[in-house]
Amino acid sequence: MLNKSLVVAKTNFRNLKLAYIITAIVLGCMLIQDAVFLILHYSGVYSQWDGTSVSIGNYLFLLPILAAVFIPLLNFRKMMNLGAKRTDFFVGCLVNHLVIAAVISLASIIMFLTYDTFMVSVINTGGTLDVVHWFGWIENGAVIAFFQQFAFLFLLASVLHTLSAAQDKWYGWVADVLIVAIIAVFIPIAPLRAALVWFFNLIIFHPNAFAQIAACLGLGLAVYTLNVLLFARKAI
Amino acid sequence: MIEFRNVTKQYKDVAAVDRVSIRINKNGIYCLLGRNGAGKTTFMKLIAGHIGASGGEIIVNGKTVSTSRMPECVNFIESGSAQFNMKVSDLIDTAAALQDGFDRDFAREMTERFELKLNKRFKQLSFGMKTMLTTIITLSNNSKVILLDEPTLGFDAIMRDQFNTLLVESYEKNPRIIIVSTHLIDEIAKVTERLIIINNGKILMEAGIEEIDENAYTLTGPTNLVSPLLSSVNCMGTTTIGSVMAAYVYGERLTLPQGVSTERMSLQDFFIRLVGGKGNVK
Repeated sequence: MLNKSLVVAKTNFRNLKLAYIITAIVLGCMLIQDAVFLILHYSGVYSQWDGTSVSIGNYLFLLPILAAVFIPLLNFRKMMNLGAKRTDFFVGCLVNHLVIAAVISLASIIMFLTYDTFMVSVINTGGTLDVVHWFGWIENGAVIAFFQQFAFLFLLASVLHTLSAAQDKWYGWVADVLIVAIIAVFIPIAPLRAALVWFFNLIIFHPNAFAQIAACLGLGLAVYTLNVLLFARKAI
Repeated sequence: MIEFRNVTKQYKDVAAVDRVSIRINKNGIYCLLGRNGAGKTTFMKLIAGHIGASGGEIIVNGKTVSTSRMPECVNFIESGSAQFNMKVSDLIDTAAALQDGFDRDFAREMTERFELKLNKRFKQLSFGMKTMLTTIITLSNNSKVILLDEPTLGFDAIMRDQFNTLLVESYEKNPRIIIVSTHLIDEIAKVTERLIIINNGKILMEAGIEEIDENAYTLTGPTNLVSPLLSSVNCMGTTTIGSVMAAYVYGERLTLPQGVSTERMSLQDFFIRLVGGKGNVK
């Protein structure tokens, strides 16, 4: 079964061209902007910029987000038409999301430590906004920050994959409305706001990195497991 | 193997499948025949568990079918099914890697025979070739039940003939239940063994092609000679041109008076009389 799940994962990787292209275009545009800044800087036209910019590596987050939407929406039926079993699809997609989260987390941190550091030292005196910096994960060191970011990206992908898979059913729409309603209702009411704060503290800002990683991975797997029910009922 | 017990599928006020009970036990190539909107696709999707029945029970391979319990031994494919835009060879290799018992040699042989270029991407193929490739992939797996919904849609006459050859060769290599829905009855009749006729969600008939060939015939002759015979036969309809009458009959052959001739009724005519005519087979 694992072999077939890996075939599903490999086929998904090969057929995510739209996600790769969109991510590459966005990343390319930001790199071109930085290149123009550097040219202007070294040609003496432009000295420095004191504003903050989003870290270039964070634009890569588009890939796990788009993959989590496109895989269940575009690839499920095609995979079934090739004779894949639903359980193989379930496991294969899990492999996709874990690998993408790991690769993007690693690439993002490497870019934060190298590219962003270089740009800040040359022209961008206001610094860059990066998730690992903003959420305080980098304070635990680059290795722990990698795992924290990886776990968070996996949770994000799991939720998006599950919501996308349910969009052709009434309960998918109910889930969308519930998520919006929870945020809208919880924020103005103090005790509920506290619950919301506790939840986001757990998955993002928890002082114990291992608790945050465990919470994200555990919740991500729990949410992803709902796909067993969703795909068992999904028409081809 | 496949059993419908009083199955109904309701779409609002319309019953796409209406209290159908049928049992398909023997391996063979079955032709599912019906007009547009007769309930053919719904019937197939119910077997595959792609949609749930509103009432009754569907049993495939001894297990009750529902959307949450789709039978793994059933492979259903529609004309124009979506595929990854990969090379033909990659699609076959991926299907082979995903399925136990996939007959890769058969798939390769058929792609060669039907001149499907292995290095062409799926989107570069014509509509007919796409359908042919999807059908080859479906027939190369070892599912016990294969359901092909309008597989010859968009095929020219030569491709339809090639498709029939493919169907027969696949069945000879791996006997199982293959149900093909189509409108082109006389062509599929060359390869099919049994016919299931569906109309307005009801199964009108399930019979062998030979049985229909033996029992469906046309009586032609002067109206005054043909007309008296109709009280003793199951007449599905008549056509009168001047003083000559043609009566479409289903049942045992009669001893005919001089001047009245009998002819084999084509399956197409039989279908039209059965579904579109006023009469019905008793």
